[in-house]
Amino acid sequence: MKRKLSGILTLLLVLVVQIAFAQDNLITGTVTNGQGMPLPGVNVLVKNTSRGTQTDFDGNYAIRASEGEVLVFSYVGFKAAEYVIDESTTRVNLTLEEDAAQLEEVVVVAYGTQSKRSIVGSVVSLGEEVLEEQQLTTVTSALQGNVPGVNMLTSGGQPGENPTIRIRGIGSINASAEPLIIVDGAPFNGNINSISADQIESMNVLKDASSTALYGSRGSNGVIVITTKKGAFNSEPGLTVTAIGGVSTPAVELHDVLGTNQYMTYAWEASRNAYVAAGNAPAAAGQLASNNLISQLGYNPYDVAQPVDANGNLVPGANLLWETDWEDEILRSAALRQEYTVGLNGGGEKTRYFLSANYLEQEGSVKESNFERVTTRLNLESDVRDWLKVGLNTAYSTSSQNYPTQSGSSYQSSIQWIYSVASLYPLYRRDEQGGLILDGFGDPIYDYGQNEGLVNASRPVFNNENAVGSLYKYRILNKRHNFNANGFAELTFTDYLSFRSNLSYEQYVFDSYNYADTEVGYASNVGGRITQNRNVTTTTNFINSLNFNKTFGNHTINADAIMEAYEVEFDAFSAAGEGFLPNVYSLSGRTTPTSASGSINSERLVGYLGRLGYNYADKYFIEGSYRRDGSSRFSADTRWGDFYSVGGSWVISDENFLNDSTVLNYLKLKGSYGELGNNNILDSDGNTLYFPYIQAFETGWNQGENTGVLLGGVVDPLLTWETTAMLNVGLDFTLLNNRVEGSVEYYNKESVDLIYSQPLAPSTGNTDITTNVGSIRNYGLEFMLRTRNIITDDFTWSTSLNFSVDNNEITELTQDSFISGTKRWEEGRSLYEFWIQEYAGVDPATGMALWYMDVENSAGEQTGERTLTSDYSQADRYYVGESLPDIIGGFSTDFKYKNFDLNALFNFSFGAQLYDYDYAGLMDGFGTLGYQQSPDLAARWQEPGDITKVPKLLNANQDFGSTSTRFLFDNDYVRLKAVTLGYNLPQSTVESLDLSSLRLYLRGDNLWTWQTHDGVDPEQSISGTTNSRSYILKTVSLGLNVKF
Amino acid sequence: MRKNFFKSIFLLGILLSIVGCSEEYLEDPKPAGQVSEDVVFNSRAGVEAYISGIHRRARGQWTTGHDAGGINSVYFARVAKGNDVIIGTSWFRFDYEQANREPTYRRTSFTWEFPYFMINQANTLINGIEASETLSEEEKTELKGQGLALRAFYYFQLAMEYQHTYTYDATLPAPPIYLELSLEGKPLTTLQEMYDLIISDLTTAVAGLNDSRLNKSYINKAVAQGILARVYQVTENWEGAEEMAHAAYGGNVEAVLDASTYDDGFNEMSNPEWLWAMPQYADQTMYYFSAPHAQADFNNPSYNNAYINSNFVDEFSDTDVRKLFVSYNPSVSWQNYITTKFNFVDFGVDFSIMRYAEMILIEAEALYWQEQVDAAHDLLYKLQVNRDPQAVKSGATGQAVLEEILVERRKELYGEIGVEWFDAKRLRRGISRDATHRVVVDLAPDDKRFFLKIPQSEIDANDAVDESVNSNR
Repeated sequence: MKRKLSGILTLLLVLVVQIAFAQDNLITGTVTNGQGMPLPGVNVLVKNTSRGTQTDFDGNYAIRASEGEVLVFSYVGFKAAEYVIDESTTRVNLTLEEDAAQLEEVVVVAYGTQSKRSIVGSVVSLGEEVLEEQQLTTVTSALQGNVPGVNMLTSGGQPGENPTIRIRGIGSINASAEPLIIVDGAPFNGNINSISADQIESMNVLKDASSTALYGSRGSNGVIVITTKKGAFNSEPGLTVTAIGGVSTPAVELHDVLGTNQYMTYAWEASRNAYVAAGNAPAAAGQLASNNLISQLGYNPYDVAQPVDANGNLVPGANLLWETDWEDEILRSAALRQEYTVGLNGGGEKTRYFLSANYLEQEGSVKESNFERVTTRLNLESDVRDWLKVGLNTAYSTSSQNYPTQSGSSYQSSIQWIYSVASLYPLYRRDEQGGLILDGFGDPIYDYGQNEGLVNASRPVFNNENAVGSLYKYRILNKRHNFNANGFAELTFTDYLSFRSNLSYEQYVFDSYNYADTEVGYASNVGGRITQNRNVTTTTNFINSLNFNKTFGNHTINADAIMEAYEVEFDAFSAAGEGFLPNVYSLSGRTTPTSASGSINSERLVGYLGRLGYNYADKYFIEGSYRRDGSSRFSADTRWGDFYSVGGSWVISDENFLNDSTVLNYLKLKGSYGELGNNNILDSDGNTLYFPYIQAFETGWNQGENTGVLLGGVVDPLLTWETTAMLNVGLDFTLLNNRVEGSVEYYNKESVDLIYSQPLAPSTGNTDITTNVGSIRNYGLEFMLRTRNIITDDFTWSTSLNFSVDNNEITELTQDSFISGTKRWEEGRSLYEFWIQEYAGVDPATGMALWYMDVENSAGEQTGERTLTSDYSQADRYYVGESLPDIIGGFSTDFKYKNFDLNALFNFSFGAQLYDYDYAGLMDGFGTLGYQQSPDLAARWQEPGDITKVPKLLNANQDFGSTSTRFLFDNDYVRLKAVTLGYNLPQSTVESLDLSSLRLYLRGDNLWTWQTHDGVDPEQSISGTTNSRSYILKTVSLGLNVKF
Repeated sequence: MRKNFFKSIFLLGILLSIVGCSEEYLEDPKPAGQVSEDVVFNSRAGVEAYISGIHRRARGQWTTGHDAGGINSVYFARVAKGNDVIIGTSWFRFDYEQANREPTYRRTSFTWEFPYFMINQANTLINGIEASETLSEEEKTELKGQGLALRAFYYFQLAMEYQHTYTYDATLPAPPIYLELSLEGKPLTTLQEMYDLIISDLTTAVAGLNDSRLNKSYINKAVAQGILARVYQVTENWEGAEEMAHAAYGGNVEAVLDASTYDDGFNEMSNPEWLWAMPQYADQTMYYFSAPHAQADFNNPSYNNAYINSNFVDEFSDTDVRKLFVSYNPSVSWQNYITTKFNFVDFGVDFSIMRYAEMILIEAEALYWQEQVDAAHDLLYKLQVNRDPQAVKSGATGQAVLEEILVERRKELYGEIGVEWFDAKRLRRGISRDATHRVVVDLAPDDKRFFLKIPQSEIDANDAVDESVNSNR
């Protein structure tokens, strides 16, 4: 991998050396706007030549020109300026005037671009300057804290895994609620982590109906439109090299766990209490507990046979022979991250190009976990003739991910192990006296708790496994290859009519390899197992559009007619075998081939689209879109769906009565309404269902050599589109000489004909049916404010705040209620309201846990009163909180002082609740001996009269750890998501080095977290439950960016 | 002019390529790996494939718990509730502690959902065969017999697991009955209705089936007779039980027993003593869900979680081939012995669902209850002497013969099908545990802990069943 990279570097360097040639004068300078703010990205050209450059992030540029030549400065939304070079010119500082007539920013929207002014919907645009402020392994992570209305969760510390993104609430249940991702105009079906941040020019989030309606069937969960970099016409080749490296540790601390000595005495107490409960006298129970403790635990970490006496004290002289700190053994103390980028861009009069290569290597929080990636991209665009423009964007990315199990409930799951296996169990095998057992080479042997012997042999917790050993003895390797070619041709018939054809092809190969050891662990009895899956997803997308845009005086009309054909083919192949020699890691080494399977599924979609827009004097805008979609996922009778939107906006500030306002610079009112669809139906495991309307007999259920088929689950043959109606109203404004810029938006999204797995009575033989049932509403308010607080020559300070208040409500169900895990759905409630047993503390008399239950009168009706019960099965469930936050958002602040800059981005979330299963397991009070427990059990009930919230320790089938509000916590948090301190070398120094810029920076991600519930990362899951996930990393890095 | 010509050609080409029938374009994708109903019910091979699929689904990783993965785990949960086998602190421990019956527990929902899944498949099978226009009447009768026996077998499990035994009170509510696909949950029935259906299905099945079958994991006449014999044990139709058990093993004790195979590891369905089996293969396995093997074998990687009560060990004579016990940890009373009966040699271990020896003992018991005590005793002795050539016929008379038969059932079937629980429940005797146990919990006769509560998921989704169903359960 590294060799490949250095090869690319050399190649690029050779290229640069060949291109660079001497010019007469080096002209440098800074381009600013009317407010003195530097303007990045201004095109600086030497008139009538192919020489050109762009200003950097600080508005600086450097270009060579000779006497008599003319520099042309141009930037969208500003009047172009020219400057004639004379003999002595070395520095040209320039202020560009805003061009009121010219439309300001151009934003990439559905199937095209629009000026920001003309947008009637809700679009938030993130430029490369935002992406450059963070270390993004997955580019979409940049949306967190930057875009209001986007709820994002990064679950776990495995690098290369992508965050969950929900735009404007959760409008789908059994259809995917993930936003659609569009890269350079075509839907993206690969893994988003195959695109590195350096390739991206902008990432726009389309949130409302008018901006997404053209994606019709797939736009209801919002759309993320990614545009890659292109280079600039008439510019010199610019070479950028970036290197950044750092170290990571978990962003928050783990839950505390008990040490061995404490564990043993607590275990004795739990066992004694159980013997007492079974009818033994306390003294006899204490003796029994003492006698049986070691046999119950299976291991004795002490140098005496019966380490805890009948009174629950460690016997004097008992010494620990070992004590395992599983966290230390499993998690890295420092994970390394390094990333290198080389980018080249430029262009001539007719052709422009962008070329980049990026290498990333990041280690995860769990030992052995890592992610390594190489991405490359070449974008070319050429004006072949004045009427024909063609372009081709190609990208290839390959990554490899070592992914030890670090969430969930399989035995080797890392975090679960830390929270489950007591420290009294040894990492390495011990004999009955506690001595280390060594192998033939004198090395210790991982203890799998599955050995012959009476003590120190058979572990009652996760026996035949060792999570530390599994990091090295198992291999879970994911490889991904993503190839993308996206070409277009654009014909211009007249200045108002053009035709564009866009064909994109993407092939995504996901290869997973799973090796289980031959001698230890879960496949040791069959001599190890290798399972390999290779899934190839091929997407072809073909879009043809006819575009009309003409202005007649004050009237401007634009119209698009578009046709889209989309096909995805999913080709899955898998094989597994058992019976390997040690250290044989290839499937061919198997003695028993245990499975081979494969299938090819595909889906297709055809769409006919139209968009019609009209504006009067760039002041009144109205726009309508319509799309008719047919999808192969539905039956012929139900596959066509009609989607549309209408929207309008009014630039109030252009009205005469506001023209003279000194306070208000810009004010726009906008509104839109539309209906969109979703066809991305998933099964309960989140897998795509290609034919959810067909019930059939499934093959593969063979009995020995006899072919077998089995009837699949019931289906609704008339299943059809899930439709979402969306309303958006907003106000965009700038105030006080453009010092303050902001927007407020209200949205209301109502999903009707929701696609949902309606529970069936299990006695029918089916537990659910996927059908169009019910409706969900998401509504909320989004707020965004940017201010430029201080602007002086040396010092600038700007801040930005955004937040959203999002609400979720079930508006229609076909039955009174559904139970869904820890939630119950009923009309008027949120999808994510917890409906669980309510904990009422501990009975001071008995030490048993108490829960609330409803009081019923003799007729069996509820009286509305509640009473307490120590019988968990009698406890009633109540609505007790919600996993969706009330308010989420971000805050950022930017300082620049001379050559230094400091910026920080915080994101926050308030009002959500989190159910912590991890902690529940640690607090169950020794229901099963051997399982790790929490030091918080110190507050347990011990004798009658004790007032506490922690029940007694009891080694029995008790429900102390069962689902209840005891483990439901407020989950408010504020996180310093990114902070960067940068220093740009002075221009003079840079020039003397023959560079165009050099920047050094220190960067920290997730450095600081404030949270109301400690011990787990606050980002867990939309449904607000933990799952023994590994921890998000905080990273400190040092970076260097050089532009040649 | 020329430029416009090119442009027009280009545009025309594009337009031609997109105009085309989009309906056809959308029809093209077809599901992979599926077979339609016609294919299944139009031929004997198709129906047999479906039957194979149903048998295959009788095992699998049904849940996330390694104690709930097929008919074998229903049986082993019964084993765990007895006195002869002691469960450690891993899987099945809560069954062992007689405390695994609450509406939200995995045992409760699995033992409900699994049989009903199989019943729905059996209903589809039965109704599909009836509706078939290509199968001959002869084929229909025989194939349908397999479906009816399957359906009855699973309804029988539900009847046993979710209510008192039939003889306690047959009017008590029992799980709902479905004879065809329904999306609506149905109300509870009574034990009487349920046993009427079970017996009627099995009687039809016995009449329609013959001796042939694809292999020992399928149902033929003898298997249906064996299931019916068990059902008659519960309803105490001793004449029927005698007739069915006798027919199931053929009446020749020596011909169906081979004592030398008892210690073969209980993992190969080719064993001549097995009547009905659930096989596994390296590529068709439920891995560590394979109780009893995955629980009881201490020689191969397993959960090492099932021990043998030392008092039970003492009931065997040393020359008994079934005395497959080794001392394990004499210092802890409940870990004193383990058994080598179940060899978890690999993931391909087969399970015995029904063996001839059980049929012989059912016949003996049925004879006893019909007051043919001597005949019962003689038959019992035939089995005893097969298992232990040095066995001496006991001097038992009267009820002692019954007790001897019941002990013999435990000695013959320990670890396999939960025989202790089955006998204690149907004979309304209760289960008393010895002091050697890890947890001493006694079940009184007709204790509620002999059955499970109705799962919460059923109450939540079935309009015909409400919360009150579990009151006083």
